[in-house]
Amino acid sequence: MANLDQLVDWLRRFRTLVVQNQQVLTELDSAIGDADHGSNMARGMNAVAEKLDGHGDTQIDALFKSVGMTLVSSVGGASGPLYGTFFLRFGASAGAVAELDAGELSAALRAGLGGVVARGKAEAGDKTMLDAMIPALDAFDAALAAGRDLAAASAEAVTAAAAGRDATAPLVARKGRASYLGDRSAGHIDPGAASTALLVEALAAALSRPEASESASSESASSDSGPAA
Amino acid sequence: MIGIVVVSHSPALAEAAVALALQMAGASPPPVVVAAGAGDGVIGTDAARVAAAIDEIATEEGVLVFMDLGSAVLSAEMALEFAETPHEVRLSAAPFVEGIVAAVVLAGAGAGLDEVDREASGAMAAKAAQLGDAGGTPVPIDERRADAGAAVAEAVIVNDVGLHARPASLIVARMGDFDAEVTVSDADDPRRTASARSMLALMGLALAKGTRLRFSASGADAAAAVEALRALTAEGYGELG
Repeated sequence: MANLDQLVDWLRRFRTLVVQNQQVLTELDSAIGDADHGSNMARGMNAVAEKLDGHGDTQIDALFKSVGMTLVSSVGGASGPLYGTFFLRFGASAGAVAELDAGELSAALRAGLGGVVARGKAEAGDKTMLDAMIPALDAFDAALAAGRDLAAASAEAVTAAAAGRDATAPLVARKGRASYLGDRSAGHIDPGAASTALLVEALAAALSRPEASESASSESASSDSGPAA
Repeated sequence: MIGIVVVSHSPALAEAAVALALQMAGASPPPVVVAAGAGDGVIGTDAARVAAAIDEIATEEGVLVFMDLGSAVLSAEMALEFAETPHEVRLSAAPFVEGIVAAVVLAGAGAGLDEVDREASGAMAAKAAQLGDAGGTPVPIDERRADAGAAVAEAVIVNDVGLHARPASLIVARMGDFDAEVTVSDADDPRRTASARSMLALMGLALAKGTRLRFSASGADAAAAVEALRALTAEGYGELG
């Protein structure tokens, strides 16, 4: 099961990873975009972290609606609507509950993925965040189907997300600002795929440490989560 | 009268575009609401603000939404899901300034959503027609060379990622210093030519590292302009080391 505290821990860890990797994300974006992905995501996740401090939500849908709307209103760039939609759909799929079993968590993640696909009108291979997210969820579901637990399945997802992120390097961008560059977008990792790999890494860390969930703070999250990109 | 919502990364940009349009509109302009910036002075767009603007202005005659670029379009699409109005809301594919001006003028004259939407979407065609076939078509190199005071310089692209968005904007910005008409070409394929004042056209050439660029200029500062671009290119647009 994944409970509300673990999901809050996921978001806090994602925030920590984004802040730690802010410079890396911005450097990736400066190569093929407009050099603001790191600062935009850090601003958005810092705003989310403020919302999480003393949040009174006891149900997953309410919490993630708040998270999604906060990103939509604070990121500024395209990743605001994209990550915002991911969390809004995640919450809507989860519903008014305080915990999710493995199947429900998978369904919520799939709903979030579906939202990103619909919002960005992109598909696999377009050199976007989907190129990390799709293989991650596929690996997650395959591991669950093979009888693995959430911690093991999410660890598989981390590996797949990182591989998907790295595999964006030779791709030619077909969506977003990077697509303006045509063939010259090849040779660089997509910054959105890099931040999505951090999202998956944060999820795995949260799911593998249920005992730390109640008191998890950004400090404790940062101490055991190294940069991924 | 229909309502118009203007979505931009920049509040200043949106307000200036609206002011321009209102100046051209008659005595009874349509209601216009700006949803721009991401708060706290951040350049960006916010779908929640866009939805609030739509709900604020919506009537049964409908709402037409104009967006600048990139995330403004994503935010506006998302706002359609958040907005609570039961009335029709449409996103215009028109170019930002031309579309807003055309729409404000026509909506002020009492036109409905369909007609205003069509008029705004035609704004790009109107501009292209005004420019004739020259719009977007590079000036032939030979004609430029024949110009009195013409100057030519060449340089090879040395930075790794070539002439992408930032170098293109640097070139356009640098051109502001000179009284000259300048084009940038691939010296080995002169059909690939763009105005040094067009960031999008320069990016569209997709000029990679190793490409030999030719800068051709006419005008009072022609020589200084091509020398400036030669130096900028040889220095890797500030991206070396």
